[in-house]
Order: sequence, then structure tokens, then C-alpha cells
Amino acid sequence: MIEAPTVDPVTFSIIRHRLFRVVEEAVITLKHVSGSAITNEGHDLMVSLYQADGSLLMGGVGFLHHLTSAAEACKAIIRKFEGRIGEGDLFLLNDPYTAALHTSDIYLVSPIHHGGKLVAWSACFVHVSDIGAMNPGGFAPDAQDIFTEGFSSPGIKLIDGGELRQDLWETILNMVRNPEMVALDLRSMIACNNVARERMLTLIEKYGAPTVDTVCRMLIDQSEARLRERLRELPDGRWQSRQYLEVKGETYKVLLTMTKSGDALTFDFSGSSPQSKYSVNCSKWASLGGLFAPLFPLLCYDIVWNEGVIKPITMVAPEGTIVNCTRPAPVSVATVGAIQSVNNAACSAIGKMLAASDKYADEATAVWHANHFAIFMFGNNQRGRLAIGILTETFAGAGGARTFADGVDIGGEIPNPISRMANVETIEAQFPIRYLFRRRLKDSGGAGEYRGGAGGEMAIAAHDAPDGGIHYVVSGKGTKFPQSEGLGGGYPGGVNDYVWVHAPSEMHNADRFAATLETIPGEGEPISWGVFPLMGNDALYVRWNGGGGVGDPLNRPAEKVLADIGAGLISEQAAVEVYGVVGKNGALDQSATKAKRTALRDARLNAGGRP
Amino acid sequence: MRKRISASLFAENGQICCASCSAPLAPTNAGWKHRAALSTLAVGTLPGAGSNVESRLVLRRFSCARCGHLLDTETALPDDPFLEDLVKV
Repeated sequence: MIEAPTVDPVTFSIIRHRLFRVVEEAVITLKHVSGSAITNEGHDLMVSLYQADGSLLMGGVGFLHHLTSAAEACKAIIRKFEGRIGEGDLFLLNDPYTAALHTSDIYLVSPIHHGGKLVAWSACFVHVSDIGAMNPGGFAPDAQDIFTEGFSSPGIKLIDGGELRQDLWETILNMVRNPEMVALDLRSMIACNNVARERMLTLIEKYGAPTVDTVCRMLIDQSEARLRERLRELPDGRWQSRQYLEVKGETYKVLLTMTKSGDALTFDFSGSSPQSKYSVNCSKWASLGGLFAPLFPLLCYDIVWNEGVIKPITMVAPEGTIVNCTRPAPVSVATVGAIQSVNNAACSAIGKMLAASDKYADEATAVWHANHFAIFMFGNNQRGRLAIGILTETFAGAGGARTFADGVDIGGEIPNPISRMANVETIEAQFPIRYLFRRRLKDSGGAGEYRGGAGGEMAIAAHDAPDGGIHYVVSGKGTKFPQSEGLGGGYPGGVNDYVWVHAPSEMHNADRFAATLETIPGEGEPISWGVFPLMGNDALYVRWNGGGGVGDPLNRPAEKVLADIGAGLISEQAAVEVYGVVGKNGALDQSATKAKRTALRDARLNAGGRP
Repeated sequence: MRKRISASLFAENGQICCASCSAPLAPTNAGWKHRAALSTLAVGTLPGAGSNVESRLVLRRFSCARCGHLLDTETALPDDPFLEDLVKV
């Protein structure tokens, strides 16, 4: 038995930082090679390093749901290809019932060998431009089972000893609608893994494999010890949260009971709805990723995200439910369906646990932007080429309020620390559309002593389209139920809305530049699920949810409420009815405000609702 | 000894208390929500509510029965039970 080398603190720290940089440089590579707005603008991506056995070594930024699922992907490849994993190989896996979240989030995983020995893996994903599902773009609201959700592999060797398997490559690209863009997506991930492997080997060459391996093991032990120590500092208890989601008149529920005992944490999803016939379901690996997405930043903001963080956590997800569906249930909308609801529920429960601690109360948060609208557009663009892509505003998000501050308006989301939206011009350059407006949305942030961050609203119309317009896919749960729950008396953030505005038969030019939903000429039709046209002078209006609030809205300083009105973030109606703040000629009416707040508190006491 | 158990509640002498006025609400080993003043709002009537909000959905507001301070909220369909949060003291 070879004894592990002793590592001094300086070397330990250098190697730790180098591992961070390996992941960071791989992410940069991925973005530079990719040509998709969803990747290099919205940052719907992930890169991480894994140990030789597939366990998480260094979790990177991007969509954190994937950190544990990609670990399972590595393990699945190890099982399937035992004895056939060589230097320069690269594997593809996107089967949701093996490890992936949905088929369009393809994992490419590369073994890293040193001296002929497998020492680590790099893994990454992007949401590819298309996967051949029955609806373009990967989200398939029309899908009835996994077989209609596109190409799905439990693991294939795409590169063998450094040689691309051209027959497989062509087969994959033959199954998608826009092979050029998907090829670029795949090449960006290959380049990403190549950089990760090269940088890891450089690190190993400099410090030696035994030393790097020792540091990796130390990092995992350290992460586990630090998370367990943190859990011991938090109070024992049980916290519940609940999420509703609706598809075509059917309501589903994700129920979470989170129990913290000593240095362990259990997430139990018993009581959640049976799996759906619609594609909002998710597999158990996806649920695991969904609960870890808020856990990493909320509980491990100063702890390396690796296997050590996973060990103290247990998940219970009953089979056959919406959070652990059975094959062949459809799952293509999982990432913005059940997974996001799991993420929201975990965020809410963790937030409540943190709020119960004097030491960690400042780390507590209401639920952030809880509902992606995830609209994929497709059609021939102004250059006559097929374009498929997402409206990246779905990544713009909104911050949940904290116990000491408002949520950040359009402030991103918990599960992806680097999410963002593209400039309007970027989308207009790729699609034959024109933005009518895009702005923060009034009354979208949950009310509270600390207000939830505002979501947004936007409208688009066809422009310079060779076919008279384009089509879009909406997998839009989130119009019936707010999902950004408040904390400690805070209200939930608003809901999403999708309105197809049918244009009148004749339009004046001035009408083509409406700046609000109300002034867009035509008749509005609420929509939420399916494929719809954006043709002629019709418009599509979308609004997205804000973050949850924290604390009693009647405790919010009146001056802040007036400032919110001035900034267009809340309405005068909300100021009076929710915050109890009355203005007069733009200034605070102190006596009327005092009377209104007293009346609102009295109304709570006299509601007669005490059970 | 006073112990924080949420953003709006603390426990002391075996009682869960309102952090705003210190009124005792319930024993620490019992659910406090059943002892709070409950008022509900239809979520669809909140300012800025969307055009399609579920009509049965309510915002349950649990307030201190003495001072009216809002202690917690939850969105719920009528048949769903209160969410239970229990902190060991």
C-alpha cells in the first residue's frame, strides 16, 4: 500500500484554487465556442470535475441542478464501459432515466488519464439547439412519453481514443432539425472537456498525481466536515413547503418535509402528486439535483461543492410521483416543471431553517424567481435560415427578499449563479422579431418589510420574416399559481402570463410601437401550453414572476413604499391595500397612513378565521 | 432563555411567542398556526395578479392574535392542511 503524501497548507491552497480555475477556464471555452444564445448569453450550461469513481470533485457554476446528475452520468458510463474506457475517449449521455434531466441537456463526459491510469473525469452540458423531439427546441409540451422527446442515449462513446466516430456523429445530427447549430453545441462541449483535461494534466504534472489526489480527498473530507459542522450549528427541526403547478387544467403538487437532525438533513417528498401525463415530471436524479441547486449556494456558499457536501443529505422521493416518475413518462419540460418546483420547495425550507438561527438568519431568503417561462421560437429567420432558440429573458429572474434587504430586481435565480438575459438586439439579430418593450414589472415582487425583486414583462412581434412570422413553443406552467413563496410573513411573488394578441385587420403604423400590453391593438388571448404562431401583426406578451417578500408588509418604511411607486415597482393600489401607505400629492400622508395600517392590522384580527 | 425560531417568532419558557409584541402563542411542542389569527385573501385579488390565477387559491395569513403582526404566510388550496414547521427548542 502506498502511503498518501503529506501536503502542506500552501500547496493545498494552491491546488484547490487551480481546480477552481480549471473549471472556470473550461466554462470560458464552452462559451467562446458555442454559438447559441442559450449557452453564451443565458448561461444554461455547467462544467464540473469528477473523481475517478464519478463522484463530484469540483462543482462549477452554471445550472447547479446538473452537478449531481452529471456525477451519476459518469458512474453510468463507468458501469456500462468497464474495461473499455481509454485515454482520449469521450462519452455522450442524455437519457433522463439514466442520469440526465431531460433529453436536450446533453452530457459529454471525458475520462482524464495520467500515466495510463484513470484519475478523474470532466463533464459538461449545454441545452442543445434541438434534439429531435416532437416540438422544436427540446421542451415538448405535446409529448406523451419519452419516445416522443427526441434522441435519448444511456451512454455512447462519441470519441474513441481521440478519434471522432463519424458514423455516430452523423447519426445524431441526422435526428435534429438544425444540425449545424447542434454540431456547434457538441463541439463547444468537446473543446470544453479538452481544456479541462489539459489543465488537469498540467496540474498533475506539476505537483504529481499522489499529491493532487491527496488534496482532492482532503477537499472532500473538508467539505463534509464543514457542512456537518454548519448543520450542527443550525437548530434541529422540521420544515414544510408546497408548490403547485398546473398544466391544461390539471393541478399537481410538490410537497416537501425537510428534517434536520444533528449533522444530517433529509428531504422527503412524500405526499407529492402522482406522475403526470404531461412532460412536467422528473426522474429521481433530477429531483436530487433540484434540491441541491439551492443547497449549494445557501448552505455551502463558502464550502467547496463536492462529494463531501452530498454525504450528509438524504432524499426520499416515492416512485411513480411527479418527482420520481417511471419510464416512459414524458420529462422534456422537467427542468422548468417538477425540477424547478423541487428547487423552490427546497429553497423555501432551507430559508426557513436559516431564519430560525441567530447566527445564520442573514443567509435566509424567500424563494427567488420560481418559474421559467422557457419559450422556444422556431422558424426561418431574416436570412432564410432555420433558427431555433429560447427567449433568454427566462433567465433574467428576480431575487427573493432577504431578512435584511429587498430582493434584486431582475436579479437572476438561485439554481444558476451566472444566469442572465441577452440584449434585445442579440435576439432580434437571430430571429425575425421586433421587441415592442421590455421592462421591470409593477407589483411582481412579493410584498414584505423587505420586498421581493421585480420580475419583468415584454412583448414581441414578427419583423422582416420571410414566412410572415415564426412559431413558438410555450410550456408555461406558472400562470395559475405563484411559486416564489414569501418568508416570515412576506407575500409570494407574482405569476407568469402569456398573452397572444390577435391584431386587427388594419393597423396604423403608430400602433406597431405600443409600449404596454393595454395599448397593443387587438384582442388578447391567454395561452400557456403548446405551439403557437406569431404571424403578421400579432404580438406575444410575456410577464415573468418576481421574488418572494420577507416580513410583514405593514412594517415596510412608508418612504420606501413611496419610492417604489416612483420607480414603477409597485402600484398605488398595492401601497394602500397591502402596505397601508397613503400618499397625498406625491408625499406621505402620515396620519392617513397610520390610520390605514391600524385598520389593516385590526382586519387581520377580526377576520374571524381563527380555526 | 429566548431562542429565535423564525423570522417572526421566538421561544421562551416553553412558549412560542410573537417577536413583535412577545405575546405567547402556543407551547413549543405544538403547532402555533392553529392559535394564530388567520385571515385569507384570494390570490387573484392581489394587486398585479395575473389574468389566469386559480380562483380557489388563497393566501393564508397567520397573525399574532394580540398585536396583528403578520407572522407567516402560505399559498394554499382550500383542502390542503397548514404547512407545519417545528423547531426543536
